[in-house]
Amino acid sequence: MTKYIIRRLLVFFPMLFALTIIVFTLLKLAPGDPYSQIMDPNIDASVFEEMRKEQGLDDPIHKQYFRWVTSVVQGDFGESFRHKGRTVAELIWSRLPNTFYLGAFSVFITIIVALPIGIYSARNPYSLFDYAATGFGFFGLAVPNFLFGVVAIYLFAIKLGWFPAQGSVSQPGLAGFDLFLAKLHHLFLPGITLGLSSTAAYMRYMRSEVLSVLGSDYIRTARAKGLTERTVLYKHTLRNALIPIITLLGFEIGTLLSGAVITENVFKFPGIGTLYIESIGARDYPVIMAITLMLGFFTLLGNLIADILYAIVDPRIRYD
Amino acid sequence: MQPEQQMNLNQDPKINVPGEAKEKGISPFRMAFRRFLKNKAAVVSIFVLAIIILLCLCAPLLTDYDPIEYDLLKIDQKPSSEHILGTDNSGRDVFSRLLYGGRISIIIGFSAMFFTLVIGVTLGAIAGYYGGKVDNIIMRITDIFMILPFLVLVLVIVAILEKVTIQIFVTIIALTSWPSLTRIVRGSFLSLREREFVLGARAIGASDFRIIFRHFIPNAIGPIVVNATLMVATYIVIESGLSFIGFGIPEPTPTWGNMLSSALSVRVLQYHPEQWVPPGLMILLTVLCINFIGDGLRDAFDPKSNKR
Amino acid sequence: MVKKRSWLLLLTFLLTLGLLAACGGQEQTGGETEQEEPQEEETTQPDKKVVVGAMDTAPNGQFNPIFYTDAYEANIIGLVFESLIARDENLEFQPELAESWEINEDHTSVTFKLREGITWHDGEPFTADDVVFTYKALSDPEYIAAGGVRTNYVARLVGFQEYQNGETDEFPGVVALDDYTVQFNYAEPNVLALADAAFPIIPEHIFGDVPVSEIPEHEASLKPGKVIGTGPFKFVDMIEGEQYILEKNENYWKGEPKLDSFVWRVVNANVILGMLETGELDFVGDPSGISPDDYELVSAMDHVEIIEEADFGYQILGFVHAFRTEEDINNGVINPDNFVPNEKLQDKRVRQAIAYAIDREGLIDALLKGHGEVVNSPIAKQWWVYDDQNPTQYKQDVEKAKSLLEEAGYVDVDGDGFVETPDGEPYELTMAYPLGNPIREQSAPIIQDMIQKVGIKVNLLQPMEFGAYSEQLEVNTDWDLYLLGWSLGTTDPDPSPLWSADAAYNYGRWNNPEADELAKKAITPPDAFDRDFRKEVYSDWQVMFQDDLPALLLYARNSIWAYNKRITGVDHLPWSLLNDVHEWDVTE
Repeated sequence: MTKYIIRRLLVFFPMLFALTIIVFTLLKLAPGDPYSQIMDPNIDASVFEEMRKEQGLDDPIHKQYFRWVTSVVQGDFGESFRHKGRTVAELIWSRLPNTFYLGAFSVFITIIVALPIGIYSARNPYSLFDYAATGFGFFGLAVPNFLFGVVAIYLFAIKLGWFPAQGSVSQPGLAGFDLFLAKLHHLFLPGITLGLSSTAAYMRYMRSEVLSVLGSDYIRTARAKGLTERTVLYKHTLRNALIPIITLLGFEIGTLLSGAVITENVFKFPGIGTLYIESIGARDYPVIMAITLMLGFFTLLGNLIADILYAIVDPRIRYD
Repeated sequence: MQPEQQMNLNQDPKINVPGEAKEKGISPFRMAFRRFLKNKAAVVSIFVLAIIILLCLCAPLLTDYDPIEYDLLKIDQKPSSEHILGTDNSGRDVFSRLLYGGRISIIIGFSAMFFTLVIGVTLGAIAGYYGGKVDNIIMRITDIFMILPFLVLVLVIVAILEKVTIQIFVTIIALTSWPSLTRIVRGSFLSLREREFVLGARAIGASDFRIIFRHFIPNAIGPIVVNATLMVATYIVIESGLSFIGFGIPEPTPTWGNMLSSALSVRVLQYHPEQWVPPGLMILLTVLCINFIGDGLRDAFDPKSNKR
Repeated sequence: MVKKRSWLLLLTFLLTLGLLAACGGQEQTGGETEQEEPQEEETTQPDKKVVVGAMDTAPNGQFNPIFYTDAYEANIIGLVFESLIARDENLEFQPELAESWEINEDHTSVTFKLREGITWHDGEPFTADDVVFTYKALSDPEYIAAGGVRTNYVARLVGFQEYQNGETDEFPGVVALDDYTVQFNYAEPNVLALADAAFPIIPEHIFGDVPVSEIPEHEASLKPGKVIGTGPFKFVDMIEGEQYILEKNENYWKGEPKLDSFVWRVVNANVILGMLETGELDFVGDPSGISPDDYELVSAMDHVEIIEEADFGYQILGFVHAFRTEEDINNGVINPDNFVPNEKLQDKRVRQAIAYAIDREGLIDALLKGHGEVVNSPIAKQWWVYDDQNPTQYKQDVEKAKSLLEEAGYVDVDGDGFVETPDGEPYELTMAYPLGNPIREQSAPIIQDMIQKVGIKVNLLQPMEFGAYSEQLEVNTDWDLYLLGWSLGTTDPDPSPLWSADAAYNYGRWNNPEADELAKKAITPPDAFDRDFRKEVYSDWQVMFQDDLPALLLYARNSIWAYNKRITGVDHLPWSLLNDVHEWDVTE
């Protein structure tokens, strides 16, 4: 196992490297560059030619890639084209917390909603509650999240005024508990929108896990031993049912980050997702590359963790 | 935005082995089929889905309007006897777009599923069956594809080719979403490898090909079929999501996704429900049916599981 | 176990039938997570006068006028920075930071007398040094490399080339005669003498010691509270990508602003309307504006006032007259002598036929709900040189279009409904259009159809993302028709940056030496200083434009702005809602 982990770690970075080569090449093959967007009769177009030269955008791709990679290795992600005067690192740092909160909030909702409902459903299968929960689960999986988001804004923000329609905080200069509350208030709709499908998925998953554990031999044995239902549920059932769920969370990291793209766009939530989309549109190469690298890193990490947990959970799987 | 958004549902590493048929003489397929038929939700879903598909296929019989024929004098019209669902912001008949759009959304869902299946199962089978170095190489390639940002890929390919056709769209989806299936198939195969009946088959000198097709695939068919079904649903949702951020099948070709996403302003939400509710409902209904069917299949292939 | 499945199915379908019902369910589960009472947002204290404006996209974050590029940044910069002079509603220059000016006889030099007693937001006095510094920075050898694009304002100044090349440290183009007198010197008589001097001024005492290459990343270019201008509002705070907060400059030289605070919020275009209705937003100006589709809804809101102004721009259906050679493209050269003519559109009558094929009024009525105008000249109608009489008007006339085609020899030989070339070859035009403007996207297939109705087959390419489109516009060799929109500045009516043969933005590569000659004549001193002369020459140019058709001008979409009636003192300009904002006030 240790050997396996070490080997996986050894290929970790070469894989990121391969990813950056592929994406960089594809990006450069695509028509357009950071300057081709700006069309302004008051700007002399020759200025852009000069800038392209200055920035080395006319160089062969491998040269540009080499330049990029050498500076990244030194920890320098460069400067944004679009956000003039700002470094990529600073730009990402300014957006990352928002996406992190959003992701964390949606996972929080997922767990706090999905697990109890899943467990309750499993303990009372085929009850009205169970059907309602399952119905909601199917709905959550079927509704496109942008539709849900837009309709939620319309209903809960504009018509009912319960939640703010846009943004991540109400005003600057808040601190402490006020800031926390404001953030939470703003996170509510986007968090639910982002967490909707995974909540539904986990709820159904939890239900079936608990059901299958409850039906297994060792639980029957435990019951036969005369253990209380509480002990059976919490000590034996949940522990066993939760393990596979936790492994799934490993995969969630990358999915969450990228799933946030649409949700953030609906809510004009200033996170990594909106930055990514805007940067792609503006061909802001350094920003796109940095985010890609970050997404890749977290996805790989998540996969690695999930794989390792798999092996621990299911001893039948052998890595050799 | 990654195609495997909903796939986490299906990454159940546990392998169920209905193939070791207790009831001799009845193939696991037939058993599964029988069990499936008992699942009313799934059966009803099949009918509903069939009706939806039929409606879309028969679009030319059901409407005389060309889905891309605009009419400047009839923009944003309310439903009338002439236009059952009114017209959109270019004066195109919403009903006609709904039917023709459904064709495309469904075609995208199914064909992307098919190609994902081909790539995913082939690679997963090879990796899981042979293990070792082969497995290692394939899995690393899988990992790279898994982290390849879908959006960048779509954008770049769109930009290079100048035209997002349905084929290209399907290819992109398939190219970026096979990895999760590969992982599942490989997982099943890895654990099957150690099973007695496989060891036995090997011992008597059965060929790899034979072992894969006689023993592995039938034993792993449950998760594959279930995943394939759910994929169709996922892809239909993904198509709509991509349309929303401007990377879907472009107008004027109708899809449910771009119909929905072009009709999501406060004005339309409030005053023209006929423009966004039908495509929204169709996506919802279709995906719902497919999920029910997928669930029914899961139960059918794996009677021990209590999932629904 | 499966007995009750059908119940389940029914239930789920019921649940999903109405989104309302489903959202209700969602609400319920939400309630379980956290007993979260909707927190009353702590809006600013009631006694503060605040207005909130909407932008549909976040500014990129560069708040230095010499380096910003996007219209969203301009919204903030416009309130914080000022220039020596500015145009009024009649497009005439009025004094701002300068109280008066004098142009010398041959229009090579303008001397500005600056207003005394103006201070920057940090209390430092505004002087002629600031003006000199600003123009020096624009001419700096490092300026372009640092990402600056506004060299148009300095290119005509004396000694610009030498200074920019780094040959000399002297910059005779803009000199301070004393603390409050500054002189602009141009290399040649300059019709744009005043327009060139209308660039926003940045503070020398802040940036004076900063190398120009480092100005973009300087905190006074990026950080609220650090950005220093002379305008009515100070940029004091922001939540990046969400809110940009300005506070009044109590010492504003035109008088203390009546508002305490001015807030820009970034809001998804889909929900602007709703927030305007609830009063969360007070006004919507450029560049978002109100979409023509929403006009009626907004005008039905009792508390909202609408302003509609003709736009300073237009949408075009461009005709590709010629292509650049591959060599020229690679070298970034635009040489009209090397243009390769586009055989398909060489015949003027074909272009005119297409122009007659298009029902521009119909497009405006349908797509813009009437909130637009047909224009027949590429010069904004607000300019005194605009001629709406003489240029050909091209009212839709299908018969005329057909007869023009026939006259040119384009007839349907094989009976497929589409014309063939005079040689009997199949004739098909390729038409391209970009994404990004929903109304333009809607118009493309309609225009295709209109052209096909007169018998010309049109192959409509799928829309491209704008970044890719703009590059393709320059390098493609197979497009015949293209859609594009221009918004014109208020600098000068001179059309040559868009339409002269060597202009980069003349994507159709229209090469008409006579027209170029006219355009040049109109800005050649000394005659050009005579307005009537200019008007006459431009009239001829406009007639030529409409006759030769480098593009068909489709429509000028009206700008539609809206503001809550609680705002008083709104006195907009034809191109902007934001004018004399220090006079804005709110009544509750």
